[in-house]
Amino acid sequence: MTCGAHRPAVEKATVAANDRMARGVGVVTLKAPATAAAIAPGQFVHLRIAEGADFILRRPFSVYRAHGGHLEILYQVVGVGTRALSEAAPGTAMDLIGPLGRGWWVPEGAAHALLVAGGLGVAPMGMLVECLAQRGVAVTLAHGAPTSERLLARELFEANCRRVELATDDGSAGACGFVTALSEEIIAADRPDVIYACGPEPMQRTVAAQATAAGVPCQVSLERLMACGIGACLSCVVSTRDGRKRACVDGPVFDAADVLWEPSEDPEVRA
Amino acid sequence: MSAVDMRVRIGDLELRNPVMTASGTFGSGREYAEFVDLSRLGAVVTKGVSIEPWSGNESPRIAETPCGMLNSIGLQNPGVEAFCANDLAWLAAQDVPVIVNVVGHSVDEYAAVAAQLDSEPVVSALEVNISCPNVDAGGMAFGTTCAAAAEVTRAVRAETRKTLVVKLSPNVTDIAEIARAVEAEGADGVSLINTLLGMAIDTRTFAPKLARGVGGLSGPAIRPVAVRMVWEVARAVAVPVIGMGGVTCAEDAAEFMLAGAAAVAVGTANFVEPSATLSVIDGLERFCAERGIARVAELTGAAWPERGKRET
Ligand SMILES: Cc1cc2nc3c(=O)[nH]c(=O)nc-3n(C[C@H](O)[C@H](O)[C@H](O)COP(=O)(O)OP(=O)(O)OC[C@H]3O[C@@H](n4cnc5c(N)ncnc54)[C@H](O)[C@@H]3O)c2cc1C
Ligand SMILES: Cc1cc2nc3c(=O)[nH]c(=O)nc-3n(C[C@H](O)[C@H](O)[C@H](O)COP(=O)(O)O)c2cc1C
Ligand code: FES
Repeated sequence: MTCGAHRPAVEKATVAANDRMARGVGVVTLKAPATAAAIAPGQFVHLRIAEGADFILRRPFSVYRAHGGHLEILYQVVGVGTRALSEAAPGTAMDLIGPLGRGWWVPEGAAHALLVAGGLGVAPMGMLVECLAQRGVAVTLAHGAPTSERLLARELFEANCRRVELATDDGSAGACGFVTALSEEIIAADRPDVIYACGPEPMQRTVAAQATAAGVPCQVSLERLMACGIGACLSCVVSTRDGRKRACVDGPVFDAADVLWEPSEDPEVRA
Repeated sequence: MSAVDMRVRIGDLELRNPVMTASGTFGSGREYAEFVDLSRLGAVVTKGVSIEPWSGNESPRIAETPCGMLNSIGLQNPGVEAFCANDLAWLAAQDVPVIVNVVGHSVDEYAAVAAQLDSEPVVSALEVNISCPNVDAGGMAFGTTCAAAAEVTRAVRAETRKTLVVKLSPNVTDIAEIARAVEAEGADGVSLINTLLGMAIDTRTFAPKLARGVGGLSGPAIRPVAVRMVWEVARAVAVPVIGMGGVTCAEDAAEFMLAGAAAVAVGTANFVEPSATLSVIDGLERFCAERGIARVAELTGAAWPERGKRET
């Protein structure tokens, strides 16, 4: 599968729906036919949430699903931009740049995939799970969240996964504890052909270490603060074995084996 | 639309219009080629380039602030050799004047980069960056005293016959004095402002938002400071001034020209709207046409008191 074959463009999107999913979490549906037709799993859009506000930069969001000319984005309210997004009524115009970045890829011959998501880490995995199911890849999802209310989009994943394992910090659903305990068990018991991880960086790092120990290839979707979103400003760099890469064009999905997680591992950091 | 003569001159260089890109905000132009027909721009100003590759600062490298942003990229660049082989080679096939932003940790490094670029036919002009607030050695240190600014300018002037622009730091007490010092050493123009040194602290974590602590402020928030400095510098030197700092639309560009700029650069606005440069160009032409101004260059310094008030 080749991802990111389509060239990015500015598209004038409109909010078609905007629904609350849990406290501080919502799903916005944008009418954006050109981007919806072109976007690949794991790619993102750079959204100009409001014009005339005192925050001016765009905000990057993964596309959760794309269908019928529409994009669905799962978002969590963390600041001014996401607050404004949560308040956008249907009909609001919102321009975006997309599709952007390099998304997930499916290794040749993969028959069983493990998806590990922490909290809103499921956001870039909706299209991925649909794509894997279509290709006949058996999918196991390990999903962790603070509480059961935050285990988002369960129907989509239950419909497309062979197996779904849940964990919550408070034990309100699934196992009580971290999702990385689930991933460790599943990797040992099932030895998947490929692992996809998204969530808080420490979680991704733990999953990457588990994958390395088991000799399973692993991809991670990394978040960085982004200004341009198109590779020009060097705001979003990730330290890799192959030097500093831009998360917006060389990522956000990286081969976990290439990522240098600690600044001390990065030879480019001057002592 | 009546035809407005949009051409302006910076030294020996004639530009098809006064709108260029601000260094570090437009990559080498290639990243924006999907969004902007580069041949419509006055010039492409590339990111800063040094002799050796620089890896830049740690992340986070940006923080948003009211109507602006802080950055501490730290002049990450692949070094002049790789820059010539990749970026300049690509730019050579584009129909647009290329101005290369030059940085160094020492006077010798600035001179060495200039010497190397002097032999590149695709380079129309050099912009010597003595004003980057994001590196420890070099950068802004050269732009904050007249003596150091003059020394860098002299060293670069000795290495190149190309049009030489010096980019000034706003983080000084008297920017006009620095402008006069570089003009005296043979600069063909000055550009300003680079970013204003600033800082933001996360009240949740009690830690600075940038890994480096401090960074450079850009965007509409700095425009009034930039316009004031362009005014002061343009009245103090005879060479052309390239004005920048928060330009987002034609009126902003006109404001800089009225203050005395011969040309303007668009920076942070490119991140907001990738085709911002084109709307500034089209808008500026319309701005002149609507007011019966035949040549855009007539705007330069038109707000100065000795020019008299415009009849409206
Ligand atoms: C490729 C990519 C895909 C993303 N996909 C999604 C998604 O599908 N759904 C979603 O809700 N969010 C996603 N994000 C994160 C999202 O972009 C930020 O949450 C958003 O920009 C915050 O804007 P704000 O104005 O609300 O917050 P701000 O006011 O800008 O910041 C509020 C707080 O959030 C933190 N923050 C801001 N941006 C980020 C970030 N990128 N990563 C981590 N912390 C951040 C800040 O440090 C600050 O403490 C993605 C980010 C990237 C880079
Ligand atoms: C992300 C970023 C990177 C920059 N890099 C450079 C650089 O390499 N060299 C330079 O002379 N100025 C650099 N600048 C400064 C801009 O060229 C410009 O002077 C400044 O941002 C003010 O213009 P603006 O408000 O339109 O952005 C950079 C600015 C930003 C925001
Ligand atoms: S966000 Fe500008 S280079 Fe990635």
